Amino acid sequence: MHLIIGGAFQGKLDYAVKKYGLSEGDIFECSESGEIEFKKCVNHLERFTLGCVRRGLEPAEVFMSSPELWRDRILICEDISSGVVPVDAVMRAWREANGRLLNWLSPQAESVTRLFCGLPQVLK
Amino acid sequence: MKVFISGGCKNGKSTLAQRLAKALAEGGELYYLATMEPRDAEDEARIRRHIAEREGWGFQTLECPRDIESCIGKISAGGTVLLDSVTALLSNEMFPPPDYAMDPAAPRRVAEGLLKLGERAGSIVYVSDYIYSDAEIYDAVTDGYKRGLAYVDRALAQACQAVAECCAGLVIWHKGRAEP
Repeated sequence: MHLIIGGAFQGKLDYAVKKYGLSEGDIFECSESGEIEFKKCVNHLERFTLGCVRRGLEPAEVFMSSPELWRDRILICEDISSGVVPVDAVMRAWREANGRLLNWLSPQAESVTRLFCGLPQVLK
Repeated sequence: MKVFISGGCKNGKSTLAQRLAKALAEGGELYYLATMEPRDAEDEARIRRHIAEREGWGFQTLECPRDIESCIGKISAGGTVLLDSVTALLSNEMFPPPDYAMDPAAPRRVAEGLLKLGERAGSIVYVSDYIYSDAEIYDAVTDGYKRGLAYVDRALAQACQAVAECCAGLVIWHKGRAEP
């Protein structure tokens, strides 16, 4: 699994498309419904985590329960960890659940890349 | 040389930018393009603090809160420019008076203007702000601004030979390197 992270609009998907030669059909775009389909690339994992939090699920546990589904996938997630602590309890829970998921995923990733203003920084 | 600097608030971006611009000028013309338009006493105090910090560095200050292309003629070709900040310039251009309604064409215009300015200057240091990693779902206006700033940042980062992220007064070079 390759993990790609970074702030909003930093070029994470553009990087993945170019690096792994993805076409539109290879990409699953998560929504806040909490549904997920493990296509070759899963984009906006942070929306999936928000969906999980709203349904009372721990996103990291969803991943733990079925490693075979995502082991050879490209996962893209926005880093939402660096703002002011949100006033809203759901947003607070979201921020923490997203962080826990990334912390759990990164040791299992073959590579971890952070995008900064369109430039990749290989963290692992 | 073209340098792009970003990072969070109060992490040393302006200080690094001033030192780099001074070094890149090698004694030649050195300009500070001020982009902030004071709206209240707090802004005015901030501007006074910045002016005091630049004293003795040899910068000629040019006020350029919007229409960056009109500023290009005021720079002598080959001079060194410090532009602080991309963030304020885009905000002025994207939400212009009198009604401050969003101009969606602003990011592209600002990126093009800034790149042209960089062509005119011998060396340029652009300073922006990294505002992309908070856990908040914004309204369309704020989200549009974030997207617009990211568009400008990415265009500049691509065009620059050196790209730095400042963190706690330290520097992470994402591309190339520049020595103050």
